[in-house]
Amino acid sequence: MSGDAVAWEEIVQQYHRRIYNICYRFTGSTDDAEDLTQEVFIKMYKTLNTYEAQRGAFMTWVTTVTRNLLVDHFRKTKHDRATDSLDTPASEHEDALPLSEQIQDTSAPPDARVQSRETGDTVHQALQKLSPELREAVILRDLQDMDYREIATVLKVPEGTVKSRINRGRAELARLLQRTYRQVM
Amino acid sequence: MQCAEFDLLLTEALDGTLAGADMERFQAHAQVCSVCGPLFAEIDGGRRLLKSLAEVEPPARLVNNILAATTGLDTVRMHEPAHARPQLSWADRARGWMEPIFAPVFAVVKQPRFAMSFGMAFFSISMALNLAGIKLTDVRHLDLRPSAIVRGYHMTAGRVVKYYENLRFVYQMESKVREFKRVTTPAEPAPNENQRRRENNNTSGQPDQRQERNYSQGENQPVLAFAPDDPPVVTGTTIRRFV
Repeated sequence: MSGDAVAWEEIVQQYHRRIYNICYRFTGSTDDAEDLTQEVFIKMYKTLNTYEAQRGAFMTWVTTVTRNLLVDHFRKTKHDRATDSLDTPASEHEDALPLSEQIQDTSAPPDARVQSRETGDTVHQALQKLSPELREAVILRDLQDMDYREIATVLKVPEGTVKSRINRGRAELARLLQRTYRQVM
Repeated sequence: MQCAEFDLLLTEALDGTLAGADMERFQAHAQVCSVCGPLFAEIDGGRRLLKSLAEVEPPARLVNNILAATTGLDTVRMHEPAHARPQLSWADRARGWMEPIFAPVFAVVKQPRFAMSFGMAFFSISMALNLAGIKLTDVRHLDLRPSAIVRGYHMTAGRVVKYYENLRFVYQMESKVREFKRVTTPAEPAPNENQRRRENNNTSGQPDQRQERNYSQGENQPVLAFAPDDPPVVTGTTIRRFV
């Protein structure tokens, strides 16, 4: 194998797990995560010569490529989703309550299903209920341990916005799970 | 501490980077504020839940699929021991080396819109070669040495010039051009009268050719003052000189 092919294989080996996890936690599907991971590496392979070390760390560049493809995927599949995110506000106003606050759930708690589900699956599913902006922020911070400056570079927003989104995402996730556990009780 | 300041310190407190007096004031406010306290608890709870998520193992075939989709390399075969891999011939190796270079060209050529153009071009070239009498089977007999090529060039150039000059049309045009030049070029002027007399009185030069001819019956002949009654019959041979 030539030197370039060996180096490329090393990059794939080093980053494929991380990219797969980001895609899986964002899309909620293993099949979508696998497809998107391949697309990320294909994109990286084609645009590797555009990476400039002075612009930022390689990890940040990889994460930016991943995030951009996730956004594209989300936009393409927006119409395929049965419902919008429960976190989606009913109006464009910032202070509008999310759907999760507005909907009153009067159905009987699914005890059998909740008991058989592990906590990780519960949290994973609750994560899918967050809006894409909050979801990507908490995934990059709490699951991938990126620092605020890197996340701000990837998401192209100020650091203050990053911190705000992360805290709102955490709080929303907790509320969703509290609502689920309240139903169990 | 006010709620606004509490919000600003929230991230640092969760990250564990808040310490000292700021941490004490932060905790004191959380205990007394009915909004900030529950908010901090919710955010901290969500953070802990997210941290509890374990990393998911990707499918085993993912790396190979990625490598196959990018470099086209089969890493499973690449890492096999050499004796387990079938040995490639030089033709296969050459093909593998040239394929990435020519594959995009062939991909373009194979498109239907270009196939017709290439077909027409090939047909036109073969017709032209046929009309010119060039046979591709003769190519193998060609002598491609530099001296042979130079000789061939000069021979061909000579044949072309000869063919050109032998054309009737060219001959006719050249003769017309000569005639036209003759007509348009002014005629040489006649020598004037003075120049002619001067030439006649000039006795210093050789004797007149005419006079010599008339009296060239012999140098020793006596010059008579009067013609005798019976002039002697002189026989002589005259030699005509054609000048």
